[in-house]
Amino acid sequence: MKVGIIDYGASNLYSIDRSLRYLGANTLIIDEPSKLKEVDKLIFPGQGSLGSAMSHLKKIELFEDLRIHLKEKPFLGICLGLQVLFSKSEEGDTQGYGFYKNEISMFPPDLPIKVPHMGWNKVLIKQDHDLFTNIENDTRFYFVHSYLLKDFDEEKSFSTTHHGIEFISSIGDENIFATQFHPEKSGEAGLKFFDNFLKWNP
Amino acid sequence: MTVAVRIIPCLDIRAGRVVKGVNFENIIDAGDPVETAERYNAEGADELCFLDIDASYENRSATLSTVEAVASQVFIPLTVGGGVSKLQDIERLLEKGADKVSINTSAILDPSLVGNAAKKFGSQCIVVAVDSKREGEKSYVYTHGGKNKTAFETSAWIKIVEGEGAGEILLTSMDRDGTKIGFDNELTSSIAKDLSIPLITSGGAGCIDHMIEGITDGKADAVLAASIFHQKEITIAEVKNGLASKGIEVRL
Repeated sequence: MKVGIIDYGASNLYSIDRSLRYLGANTLIIDEPSKLKEVDKLIFPGQGSLGSAMSHLKKIELFEDLRIHLKEKPFLGICLGLQVLFSKSEEGDTQGYGFYKNEISMFPPDLPIKVPHMGWNKVLIKQDHDLFTNIENDTRFYFVHSYLLKDFDEEKSFSTTHHGIEFISSIGDENIFATQFHPEKSGEAGLKFFDNFLKWNP
Repeated sequence: MTVAVRIIPCLDIRAGRVVKGVNFENIIDAGDPVETAERYNAEGADELCFLDIDASYENRSATLSTVEAVASQVFIPLTVGGGVSKLQDIERLLEKGADKVSINTSAILDPSLVGNAAKKFGSQCIVVAVDSKREGEKSYVYTHGGKNKTAFETSAWIKIVEGEGAGEILLTSMDRDGTKIGFDNELTSSIAKDLSIPLITSGGAGCIDHMIEGITDGKADAVLAASIFHQKEITIAEVKNGLASKGIEVRL
């Protein structure tokens, strides 16, 4: 079993790679379309801006091929990797893959909070999922983001988190799971989450 | 219910070793970086900060292999600073496992570096480290590891880099650094009240009460300390229990 990590030019993909290798996984950095065939699962890392990620994927001709593999392979999107699944973001009016129509918006400016939302916050698990196996409700994971998913289909929303307002911190839909938090930076809880992903058979 | 206050041990690095000084001078050896990082990770550190204190002064990049060794053993956020002067430096640090980079001297020399870095890598990735020293009623920014005074007042400079797109401010009081008499909460709170991005307070922590005051009086989002953790005077868990007993949210 091999896990592919999408390289879109500006991300902390090496942190994810190190975490997975620490757990004994085989990994492959995906920086061209032909490599997609070699992997069984996919991770879309999260850092950088949506606009530059999308244009980089198009430049290396990965954008359309990835769309096909996204629908077939167990997929984990992290932070930006959650946001790419949606049709649009307030972040520069960028278009993602558009699997879901809800909008990715900024934290409302009038809240008495710091943005980016940076640090360890509680993940309130709303429904069981294989990826939350042996992870307690209210466990703190590491977040760092300025954009968020406010509303989503309840059946596909697996956790929420509160920072000034409540937002959706993970979604799941058949072979797709995506988190606003960063498992690769969430210490023991994050490693457990990745281990669940490695074992996952959707 | 909100995001937890972060406890961040800082590893000042010189020539591949952890070191610690008082008021930025009298530098002494404080251990191996990887061993120290592993210990803090196991104790429950929320992040690690890793500063190559000579990198800027000697005009060289942070020791990339040390960064990589630390990043392979700890799976919590790692901020790396020291000698970051161009976008390529940031890219290399990220490749080696840094999650954020801290920019200090080079931001003063060219404030647009902060903006350009934030555009390329995202604001969340760019920490601006500010070394501040009091002079009468005012505080001024220093560069090159505290060696050179600038014309910038601390509060004005922080507003500039916030506007450029910095994701976080690491504010160190040079007057308090290594003294263990407490953070400069007056300075920190005066900055925090006008700041929309997270603020890390640094310089002067000597006991658990100082950590608590850094949050309640200093209004910081995170506390950074080196000496008291290196010398095992208090553990991170003790600090967190102390904060929790005052109703401050921490990750336990």
